[in-house]
Amino acid sequence: MIQKTKYIPDGKQALKELPILHYLDAQYVYYPVTSARCPEGETCVRGGQFVKVGEIVGTRKGAFFEQPMHATVSGEVVGYEKHIDQSGKLVDCLIVKNDKKYTLHPSIVDRSDVEIERLTKEEYIQIVKDAGLVGLGGSAFPTYIKLETKDPIEVVIANGVECEPNLISDYGVMMNHPKEVIQGLIYTMKASGAKRGIIAIKKKYKEIEERMNFALKEFSGYNIEVVKVGNYYPQGWELAMIKNALGITIPQGELLSKYGVLNFNVSTLQSVYAAVKKRLPVLERLFTISGDGIFNSSFRARIGTLVTDLVELAGGYKDETKPKVMILGGPMMGTNILRDDVVMTHTTTSLIVLNEQVEKEEACVHCASCVYSCPVQIQPVQIMNAYKVRDKDALKMLEVNKCIECGLCSYVCPSKIHLTEYMRSGKRFAGK
Amino acid sequence: MQAIKQTSPYIRKPVSTKRMMTDVLIALIPVVAFAIYRFGSDAIVRIVLSLVTMIGLEALSFGMTHKPDKADKWFDRLKSRYKDYSINNVLTPAISAIIFAMIIPSKLHPYAVVMGAAFGIVVGKMLFGGLGANIFNPAAVGRIFIALALGDMFSGTYTGIDLAAGSTALGTIREGGQLFPDALNSYSILELFMGNVPGAMGEISALAILIGAVYLLIRRSADYRVMLSAASTFIILILLAGIKLHPDYILEYTLYHLFAGGLMFGVVFMITDPVTSPVTRPGRWLYGLMVGTLVVLIRLFGAYPEGVAFALLFANMFVPLIDYPKWSTNKIKPAFIIGYITLIVVFGLVVYFGVGGAA
Repeated sequence: MIQKTKYIPDGKQALKELPILHYLDAQYVYYPVTSARCPEGETCVRGGQFVKVGEIVGTRKGAFFEQPMHATVSGEVVGYEKHIDQSGKLVDCLIVKNDKKYTLHPSIVDRSDVEIERLTKEEYIQIVKDAGLVGLGGSAFPTYIKLETKDPIEVVIANGVECEPNLISDYGVMMNHPKEVIQGLIYTMKASGAKRGIIAIKKKYKEIEERMNFALKEFSGYNIEVVKVGNYYPQGWELAMIKNALGITIPQGELLSKYGVLNFNVSTLQSVYAAVKKRLPVLERLFTISGDGIFNSSFRARIGTLVTDLVELAGGYKDETKPKVMILGGPMMGTNILRDDVVMTHTTTSLIVLNEQVEKEEACVHCASCVYSCPVQIQPVQIMNAYKVRDKDALKMLEVNKCIECGLCSYVCPSKIHLTEYMRSGKRFAGK
Repeated sequence: MQAIKQTSPYIRKPVSTKRMMTDVLIALIPVVAFAIYRFGSDAIVRIVLSLVTMIGLEALSFGMTHKPDKADKWFDRLKSRYKDYSINNVLTPAISAIIFAMIIPSKLHPYAVVMGAAFGIVVGKMLFGGLGANIFNPAAVGRIFIALALGDMFSGTYTGIDLAAGSTALGTIREGGQLFPDALNSYSILELFMGNVPGAMGEISALAILIGAVYLLIRRSADYRVMLSAASTFIILILLAGIKLHPDYILEYTLYHLFAGGLMFGVVFMITDPVTSPVTRPGRWLYGLMVGTLVVLIRLFGAYPEGVAFALLFANMFVPLIDYPKWSTNKIKPAFIIGYITLIVVFGLVVYFGVGGAA
């Protein structure tokens, strides 16, 4: 109890055994015009216009980048509606009526191997930019900006750790499409000039290791290896993963590229493969519905699908009378939502519905479990005390800004104090 | 379906403060059982008195420090004062009460028991804000209070005193009933370990205490760092004193000091109290070092034969300093390791020369 907690029961085994249903019957699909990273956006299609798979339907504008939006179905543009996006906010969405034919846009043609061989760094970046690729691990950070770095890159890491409980999307990608991940890794290595590639997976994933190593036999000309890192949480956090996979300690707040490292999620790499080889944007993602408040199910669905449809298909909620907590993402860091009319975006891979459990907060007994467990070595209990008296100087001395909001402090607290929420408030307060 | 608003994380580890407190109570069972076996009804009376006083006064103070809701009936108003009252408000004073009962002698007058328990829980804990807010260990506060205020009541309260020695094991070598190697005739190391000696009820049997310690450590309800740090500091310093004072009996001298008096009990059950400990790894090592050193200094140079409670209160005062945000960190840095070793060396020298090392 008074100890460093690293392992969280992940509940993945049961989910992995679920069949993956390919859902293509959405009547309407929705494309949010704005996102958390892009507060502005515009569409370039008119109502009644017919769009095809892969066609650009608009642009989202962020602070220093623009991102094209692609249609993931073919059909007619019918208008706009407000829906919840991945961050839990209500946003304007473009509606496309699905004709279920999935006609590809004429620009979607495969690149031949010879063409790919001739691609330069600039062309790779342009391809990635045009495909609107973002970090699919959850950050949604534009991939091309990472590739654009001027620093010499020595190693590219494919991050397949996925340390949060209940998430199996990356696992599914590595299990079902290991070659596409490896190809994507090779393309990013070419684009960044790196000589070495690493696929980081959890130690306990023996089956992934075997599959990856088997697939790697075809690519023996490249220096790529599978590295096993710990099973614990938050091992998927890039700095923790890099430390275990490469032995490099990178201070928080520094760019990875300064240390010659680039880190991509395995799903991102798969999307790089699709963009380079097939000229496709991200069309589909694995979406898992889990938790004790709902019938569990696993889907492959088009970006833009409404989660409501999937919930219905899965069989709906269990015990409708019990209050429920709905989470997009993992149970440790996911976003809380109050309605299920969520639009699937690039980074939506999981809906968790839990029956509410009321935790009564007790007095803190200074057991220091939170301090021992904190992966960034800050002191949650002291930050909480400093925040309670609104002591800005103490908050800064305690380096509250280092917090990555992994949720471990709240998770381990025997008094059930919601420390992570204090960390967030402390950050906001210290930044004022 | 009703959707509930929450913030991440949405899952919690199945641990609770209640479990931690219950574990301490369970770990105390061997000690309590031994005390009852050794002292019979004397022990039971004092344990019950202490329990009733502490739990009762905590409940009373709890009600007085919580505002009532507006209600017509006085009983509803009273009830509303206790709506936050939880099982932890019973378990924690129960732990303090049993620890307090274990560090007093079996023949101590019940008046002193009640006064000590009352002072400990009211002044030592509830006045600071109750559970989790006290900076001093309530049992130690109560013990020190009666030792200072009701000192006379202690004379002749230790039962089973060897006639030749005329005092407790530590008192003997301190006030000179017998000097050290001879004291082994009155109190052998084995007897000290088993608990067949005079002394405070729970402190005498090192064996019973060790069983409790093992349970606490297996259940992770106590931090091994404070225990290890305090015990090892104590052993190193006493060893140094032994080298100078009794070169022929170094091992016996060290074990004698280790098993006699309240050190073992204090190290296992009192300094591990998380509420009054620092919250970082280096802080806890430092805290243990402080207690271990102070116990040695008091035993060798102080006015009392024994001083775990004093050492504990003294170290408690330094906890806010150790935890001061400017330098508190959870990383074990090289500077800390060097500082820690330096402190042990410095105190080692103090002890060695203090007992006449150079002469």
